[in-house]
Amino acid sequence: MGRNPAGRGLTVFPNDTFLVSYFRSGSTWSRFLFGNLIHETETVTFTNMEQLVPIIYNQPDRVLRGLPRILKSHECFDPRYRRVIYIVRDPRDVAVSFYFYNLKVRVIPDGYPMEEFVNRFIAANVISYADRVGCWEDHVLSWVRLRAGREGFRLVRYEDLLADPGKELRTLAPLLGVDPTPERVERAVRLSSAGHMQSLEKKQSKDWVATKDTRQDIAFVREAKSGGWRNKLSASAARAIEQAWGRTMKELGYDLVMDASPAGEMVRG
Amino acid sequence: MAHEQGNLARALVAFGHAGRILTGKQIAGRGATVYHDDIFLVSYPRSGNTWTRFLLGNLMDQSEPVTFSNIESRIPEIYFNPDRFMRQLPRPRLLKSHECFQPHYPRIVYVVRDPRDVAISFYHHNVKARNLPDDYPLDDFVPRFIAAEFDSKFGSWRDNVLSWITLRGENSNFLMLRYEDMKQDAAAALRRMAAFLQRCSFRHLDQGPEAIQRAIELSSPERMRALEKQEAGSWVLTKGTRRDKPFVRSATSGGWKSQLAPSSVAAIESAWGPLMQRLGYELISDGNPSSLEGSASLGKTS
Repeated sequence: MGRNPAGRGLTVFPNDTFLVSYFRSGSTWSRFLFGNLIHETETVTFTNMEQLVPIIYNQPDRVLRGLPRILKSHECFDPRYRRVIYIVRDPRDVAVSFYFYNLKVRVIPDGYPMEEFVNRFIAANVISYADRVGCWEDHVLSWVRLRAGREGFRLVRYEDLLADPGKELRTLAPLLGVDPTPERVERAVRLSSAGHMQSLEKKQSKDWVATKDTRQDIAFVREAKSGGWRNKLSASAARAIEQAWGRTMKELGYDLVMDASPAGEMVRG
Repeated sequence: MAHEQGNLARALVAFGHAGRILTGKQIAGRGATVYHDDIFLVSYPRSGNTWTRFLLGNLMDQSEPVTFSNIESRIPEIYFNPDRFMRQLPRPRLLKSHECFQPHYPRIVYVVRDPRDVAISFYHHNVKARNLPDDYPLDDFVPRFIAAEFDSKFGSWRDNVLSWITLRGENSNFLMLRYEDMKQDAAAALRRMAAFLQRCSFRHLDQGPEAIQRAIELSSPERMRALEKQEAGSWVLTKGTRRDKPFVRSATSGGWKSQLAPSSVAAIESAWGPLMQRLGYELISDGNPSSLEGSASLGKTS
C-alpha cells in the first residue's frame, strides 16, 4: 500500500482533526481559512495546501503521518474520526457547483443538460466515487445524526461561513487548538478571500494536483456565493432536490421554494 | 484513467489503486467491489452474524451443509477474502460485513443484539484473540467496549446500530432482526430473511417447512461447536487465535443477567439506554439517567 493514496485506508489518530464535507461545499475554502489560521508564518496556496492541510485522497498514509493532522475528507460517517468540523451547504448550490466541476474534470461534456445532471446528483450517480460517499442527504445525516451535540463535532453551514467567516473561525479555533486573536482571524480571512484564491488559481492551477489536468477554461474557485441556484437551476430541478431532501434541508435552515407556493404544497402532498 | 484530475477524480484514482491491489491477494474490506444486486449481512461484531450465515447458507444451497471450511466461499466475510475472489462468486452475492452505515450497500440484512450480551461475548472474543489476558476483569472491559476501543473501525455498538437504523431504517431494502428474536423463533426469523432475499430477486429459495427446519438443525450451536472443533485450525476467523477458547460460545441471550456486574450493566444502560429501549431491550438500572443517546438531536431518531 506504500505508494497508494490513503483514502479510506487512512490510519486515524486520536488527535486528528477532520474537515469533512460533501463535494463542492466549501471545503477547499475552509482549507485556506483554517490553514491560514493555524499556520501563522506560512500562507496557504494551492501549491503548499497538500502539505499544510492535506486531503486524504492525494498522498499515501505514510506521507500523511508526517504532515499536520488537520485533514480534509469527503467520507460519509466514519466512527474513527474523533474531531470533525462538518461543513454543509445548500444542496441546490452544491448541484450547480458540482455540475461545473464535472464539466471541468471532463466527466460530462459541454452542454450536458442540467436537469439530467441534477437527477444523477440526487441518486449519487454522478461519478463512480460518489456512490461510496453517498448522496448529499445520506452524507449530511450520517454525520449529523451520529455526532451532533457530541464533543469534538461542529456543524458549520457554508452560508454562515460566507456571511461572517471571522465569527465562525473564532468559534472553531479552540477545537483547532488556536487562540483566535483579532489579528490572526483577520489575516486568515483576508488570505482566503475569493478574490485572493481566484488570483492564486490563475497562477497555480497547472501546479495543483486537483486542477493541473483539468479544463483550464473552467475555474475551480467559482462564484463562492450562496443562492446562485436561483438563476442556474430550473424550477423543476430545484423542486426535484427539495422533494428528495426537503425535510433535511429545512432542518438545516434552507428554505424551500415549494413551501412558498400553494402549488408546491400540492406537489408535496 | 481518462480523468486523473480534481479531488474527486483523485479520489477515484485512489480507489483505482485499491482496485489494482485487490486484483491480487489483498483483502477486500471497505474497498470491496459492490454490485447493485449484492445483499450485505451486517452486524456489530459478536451479534450472531456467523450463526446467521450458517442459517442462510444452509437454506440457500442444500446440496452441501455449511461448515467453517466452506462458509467463506458461500457467504464470504469482506475482511478475510480478496476482492478478486469475491467478484467471481455467483450473483446475487450475500456478503458479511461489520461496517457502520455504508451508502453504497444496496440491500442489507442487519442483525442487532442486546449490547449487554455483546459486551460479554466481545470480552471472551478478545481473550481468545489474545487482545486481553485471561484474568482481565470483565468490569474493566465494559467501559472500553462502550468507548469502542476494540475494532474501533466498526464504531461503538451505538454508532453501528444507530447509523444503520437512522439512515436506512425505513428503507424497503433494509431488514433488521434482533438476535434475541432469532433465538426464540429461528424458523420465523429465517422465513422473514428468506422472504426479504426473495423480494430482492435472490435466486430461488426453498422456504418450505422442511427446508427451514433442516437449515436450523444444521446451524445449531451443538453442530457449530462440533464443526469448530474439527475446523478451527483452518478457518480464517479462528486461525491463530487461542484454541482453548471457543468461537461459538454460549449462543444464548440474557447471559448478562448473571455475568455482568450491576455497575457494568448501569454503565451500558447509561450510555445507550434510549437506543436500547427503542430496540426493545428493557433497562434494569435504577434512575437510569436520561442520556441523549438514541434521541441524538434533530428529531428523526427520537
